[in-house]
Amino acid sequence: MAATQTEGRGSSSNKGATGGGFSFEMKMLLPVLLVLAVLSLFPFFYIIWMSLNTVSLLNGISFDFAGLSNWTRMFTDVVVGAAWVRSVIYFVATVGLEMILGIAIALLVHELVWGKNLVLSLLLLPMFMAPVIVGLLGRFLTDSSYGLYAYVLRELGIFDRDILGTGSSAMPAVILMDVWEWTPLIVLIVLAGLASVNQYVIEAAKVDGANYLERLRHIVAPSIAGVVIVALLVRSMDAIRYFDIITVTTNGGPGNTTKIIPIRLYETAFRFFDLGYAAAIGLGMLVFSILVATVFVRILESRGLAK
Amino acid sequence: MTTSSSSTRGVGKQAILYAILVLVLLWTLVPILWMVLSSFKPGVAQLSPTPVFFFRPTLQHYVALFTGGNLGAYFLHSVLAAGISTIIAVALGCLAGYGLARSHFRGKQHVAFWIISTRMAPIAAIVLPLFILFRYVHLLDSIPGLIVAYLTFNLPFAIWIMNAFFSDLPPSLEEAAMVDGASKFQAFYRVALPLVTPGIVTTAILCLVFSWNDYAFAATFAGPSSQTLPIAAAQLNTQTGLSWGQLTAIGTIVVLPMMVVGLAVRRYLVRGLTLGAVTGE
Repeated sequence: MAATQTEGRGSSSNKGATGGGFSFEMKMLLPVLLVLAVLSLFPFFYIIWMSLNTVSLLNGISFDFAGLSNWTRMFTDVVVGAAWVRSVIYFVATVGLEMILGIAIALLVHELVWGKNLVLSLLLLPMFMAPVIVGLLGRFLTDSSYGLYAYVLRELGIFDRDILGTGSSAMPAVILMDVWEWTPLIVLIVLAGLASVNQYVIEAAKVDGANYLERLRHIVAPSIAGVVIVALLVRSMDAIRYFDIITVTTNGGPGNTTKIIPIRLYETAFRFFDLGYAAAIGLGMLVFSILVATVFVRILESRGLAK
Repeated sequence: MTTSSSSTRGVGKQAILYAILVLVLLWTLVPILWMVLSSFKPGVAQLSPTPVFFFRPTLQHYVALFTGGNLGAYFLHSVLAAGISTIIAVALGCLAGYGLARSHFRGKQHVAFWIISTRMAPIAAIVLPLFILFRYVHLLDSIPGLIVAYLTFNLPFAIWIMNAFFSDLPPSLEEAAMVDGASKFQAFYRVALPLVTPGIVTTAILCLVFSWNDYAFAATFAGPSSQTLPIAAAQLNTQTGLSWGQLTAIGTIVVLPMMVVGLAVRRYLVRGLTLGAVTGE
């Protein structure tokens, strides 16, 4: 009897078996989705409402309807505009460097004959570190009095000023900290792609006299393209999400040179207590990340990876 | 299997490879080793303007953290907040992931997209409304508040990953169990669930790493009675003056357990970190 109710490999729809109530699968899914809705939709509509108000935290919480004034202000705010520009620079530099270095290192590790597993394990270590510790460690290493890296750069005559306190070097420093932590993620993902490249095709190309670069371009690159795109999108999403490293190193300084949009949002909300305006900025970020997520899911779907 | 190295120029090529790799490993490992080394350095060696490599190791910074720094409490807060949110996320993620993988309904793609977009929302944008809502319901400065905050990213993550792992299982196994008289729940609990054990472990460890490593949520919501380790680390630098010894010690304490558990599931990491899109090794 039970057997007649099971689905035939997904070819038949659930509707027939459901009868009056929900099917077993939906009974497992729906309560959890309800929890997720409370966790995500509630704050989502709430932040929209916040962005339409002047929110004050003095004497409890007070909402004062302000229409679209936070929104019109955001689109004309030079400071926020500059923060967006810095965000884009930070985003392109970190994700770009991580992709280039990650792919290069993965190609390198893939060619190793022995010690491959050990090397990969060691390379992955930064990825498990709390970003806030990476930032604090970065401060330690670049401290002008006691920092190891500051010492090396000074002795080599490359740079002798305070690395995080100087406008020209602060941004490159925080970018490199992010690159240090997250390049391993790209290495890991690209290596998985390289492992799936057809070895017989590679061998055949070798027999035909194709050199490494030719094989890379005509065989390896097309086979790992999908995986590289996944790596790019996964990393992009988290690059928009996190701002811990900058918070504990420069917190936007010196002179706003590292003030990317989440840092600006955070200080608008929790230093100037302008929560309504911060909500509008937050929704701007949300739109940006939803656009990236849409691309992610589209590509997964087109590759038949999201079922 | 190592067919990629050609036999003629193999040795020379490998030598160059390892030479470059040593540089990459130095770039990767020096900061970590320096942190661990510095955490055992006596205060005097710590404050030397030139790097000190040889010294009598001391536990003074660790002792100071636990005696004067209230670190035991912070450690407990971190374990509770990260641990409980992980357990809830994985349990609910298994149920919903299975439900999603085995059901077919119109708009399923949209539901899936909504789940994943929840995981990807920028933290700065989530923290704002939660801060006000938490004030209303008195969840600020509490471990339950942190657990709820961590569920905002751990729950959608767990649902999505478990969905990917369950989708890989052929439904025929569960169907066979049901032919033998098992109920649908028994087919899920006795047949499907044990088969995705690697998926469950990977999901749990990644949820644990994400929430253990959190700074932004705890920095906004946690207070004296719910302070976690990353917050304690960040505050060391501002409150008690510069104590690099204690800072590197707390850094080591925060970082090492996650490296151990992370590497323990290395085989499945790719699957988890690409949200199921790429299958590893």
